[in-house]
Amino acid sequence: MTFTSRRNLAGLTCAAAAGLALLADFALRLRLRRADLVSGGALLAVVFLLTLFNARKKLPFLPLWRAATWMQFHIYAGLFSGVLFGLHSGWRWPQGGFTSLLAALFLAVFGSGVAGLILTRWLPARLTEHGENVIFERIPALRAAVRREVEALVLESIPRLQSSTLADFYEQKLLPYFTQTRFLWFQVAGIHRPTQRLLADAHALDRYLNPEERSLLARILEHIQARENLDYQQARQGLLKAWLFVHIPLTFALILFACVHAFLAWRLS
Amino acid sequence: MADDLAGIKRPQRWDVPFWSETSEAEASLAAPDVDRLLRLPAFEKMDAARFPAHAPLRDILLNDGRVRRYRAGEIIVRQGDYGNSAFIIIRGAARVVLHPATGNRESGGTSRPGFLPALLRWWRNPSLPEVRQFTARSPGANVETAHVGGPAIFVQDMDLIVKDQRTALLGAGELFGEIAALSRTARVTTVYAGEESELLEIRWQGLREIRQHAPEFKQHLDRKYRENSLNSHLRETRMFRHLDDATLARVASATEFLTFGDFEWYAAFSKTKESSGQERLQKEPVVAREGNYPNGVYLIRSGFARLSETYNHGDRTVSYLGRGQIYGFEEIATNWRDQTDRPFQRTLRALGYVDVLFVPTAVLEALVLPTLPAEEFPRAAARPNGPAWARGADQRGLPPEMLEFLVDRRFINGTAAMIIDMDRCTRCDDCVRACAATHNNNPRFLRHGPIQDGFMIANACLHCQDPVCMIGCPTGAIHRESVHGQVVINDRTCIGCSTCANSCPYDNIQMVTARNPEGRPFLDAATHQPIQKAAKCDLCANQPTGPACAHACPHDALVRADMQDVDRLADFLHHR
Repeated sequence: MTFTSRRNLAGLTCAAAAGLALLADFALRLRLRRADLVSGGALLAVVFLLTLFNARKKLPFLPLWRAATWMQFHIYAGLFSGVLFGLHSGWRWPQGGFTSLLAALFLAVFGSGVAGLILTRWLPARLTEHGENVIFERIPALRAAVRREVEALVLESIPRLQSSTLADFYEQKLLPYFTQTRFLWFQVAGIHRPTQRLLADAHALDRYLNPEERSLLARILEHIQARENLDYQQARQGLLKAWLFVHIPLTFALILFACVHAFLAWRLS
Repeated sequence: MADDLAGIKRPQRWDVPFWSETSEAEASLAAPDVDRLLRLPAFEKMDAARFPAHAPLRDILLNDGRVRRYRAGEIIVRQGDYGNSAFIIIRGAARVVLHPATGNRESGGTSRPGFLPALLRWWRNPSLPEVRQFTARSPGANVETAHVGGPAIFVQDMDLIVKDQRTALLGAGELFGEIAALSRTARVTTVYAGEESELLEIRWQGLREIRQHAPEFKQHLDRKYRENSLNSHLRETRMFRHLDDATLARVASATEFLTFGDFEWYAAFSKTKESSGQERLQKEPVVAREGNYPNGVYLIRSGFARLSETYNHGDRTVSYLGRGQIYGFEEIATNWRDQTDRPFQRTLRALGYVDVLFVPTAVLEALVLPTLPAEEFPRAAARPNGPAWARGADQRGLPPEMLEFLVDRRFINGTAAMIIDMDRCTRCDDCVRACAATHNNNPRFLRHGPIQDGFMIANACLHCQDPVCMIGCPTGAIHRESVHGQVVINDRTCIGCSTCANSCPYDNIQMVTARNPEGRPFLDAATHQPIQKAAKCDLCANQPTGPACAHACPHDALVRADMQDVDRLADFLHHR
């Protein structure tokens, strides 16, 4: 089965489940039953099931279906939970402070999940096509190595070439570029201006260089390109990891608040 | 300072004799009586003085041999299992199932551990990397031991099961299992005890040394190797299936054994890794060339071959052939049927090395083609119409660039290559964490490697069809798991010599420093050098889930692919 046909099948199943839920809710309301209790119970159960995915990931050695199967369930059950939430809240923003907080938590978890889904489908191909793929944890070491290599090139050239053009360029432009980490934010936003500006400055040096220096500058430019790729990889891979630091803690807060809400609803009903 | 560290004796080749790798109950009976063995016909005429001082014949038999006893009907080796040893019958008889061959099913198999053992293993994971529990001053005394060979399988009424099959009886003094042991391939037949029997089982390392130092034994082995391998291979080949025994014997007698390239190809391959595709191609020995007269068919016996066709000023790879595949039959068969004289349509080159059986055209025309069923004739021998660039992909469904990549880098050797779809992989490292969780907190692969068309071949053991890493191992620590054929390392018998790591053409074996539970490295008591062990992916041979990496990938981005199963590989490459 291709991913497209699997997506179509799962999407149809999810839509059918949502349709059934809407019908059931309508039928319960027609019979003047507490439809909010049913939808609330179902929502809590689905949220629990969704949370189990994280537990499953901690136990990869157990034969509890493939993680990819869990992921598919997580995505479509997560989308279905949005329908249940709508039914439970009556498609209105709640009035009480506690329930408002709970609704905000749910929407934050739901929204971060959707954002994560988009990021995990959109970013990997961009990472693949952008320079060398590196392991996230090794990026700081590689970045330091790039800086060391450029520094060594420049230092070695000063006595040999009897010229300070490249050394001045290193001190004034390259060193700040290599030591700054704020450029990561530019990368997150997809802006390459700092690197482009640096490359333009480097090319402007051409009139002051002899052939040997030009060849050295070409090697330095390769290092700038490598550094740019490292920043790109770190920013984008970081984004792929960072959204989970929003999604997972909020999920635990949601479960806690939802349990309190369910207990109160049960005691007061 | 050395006193603070765990000092132990550096492991040596025969610290763990073969006979000790049986269950405790069998170990006392398995220790070979060397004097008795030396009186066997296979060894009695051997000149012990030819053997070097570091590996005398007596020590080889004592340490690389073990005596095994079988009841009548008990299975000794099973077809399809991977063998690391050969057998000599000391007493009794064994029966070889010749034709049609028996599968594995009736003769048992292995099962993976269940839920609770997996949970317990995880619970006991040490928090520090590469922790071992050497209980004595010998590194061989590891806690977890592997019983190479495993328990024997007894099948009630084995004679009844094989009554419709041709069998041959082997008597005392006969040798079997040497082909699989020496060529690192699967057993081609099932052998069971015909009566109460006693056998000497020899590890392939010992067999290799005896072969090296005893010329008469080498001649005997080579003759048997030729006879048995040739017959079984021809019988397995589709175009010869319709032949009766007498005709097949005539074909066999006219068949030539040819070898192209270097058996230890990995050394040369490492040096040419950075060369261009054309340079590499020029260095590959040509088996048969496009445009030449088709003088016979080539049956690949072991190794791999590249099939290419001329494309403007270069050669374009169109496919790769492995064991059991045939080159040249289409041209010869259609020439004979249609009375044409088409030459070879493609060039066949050895990738590293390739062993082929060559059956001349005259033999085929006289003995095979006249009786070949019509449906066995190929439909067309010509190259597909149109220029190669217009066809877009090879006949086996792989994009041309991917095919060149897999062949050039010899990834075609893999039976479980880790392929990651980088357009789906979110770099979450769940695969790495799963690997660590199932291997005492030590990940056994690196999520890094060359990328082609957005697919990465990661630095994880490929579990090669031709595992060259096994060639130099002095103890047999790196071996094939008998049933599924994964290449695994017995940590207990690994002496840390690095031979396997240096031989691996893909750099997928790491040498790690063994540590005690406090995290301090074990040191050789004599030299104070750290004790090292080879470590690599074992394809989660003892996990209930199968490969944990693939099981743990939430995005369906990672598979373990057999490069010979091109259909499945193509499915994965096209599934986006």
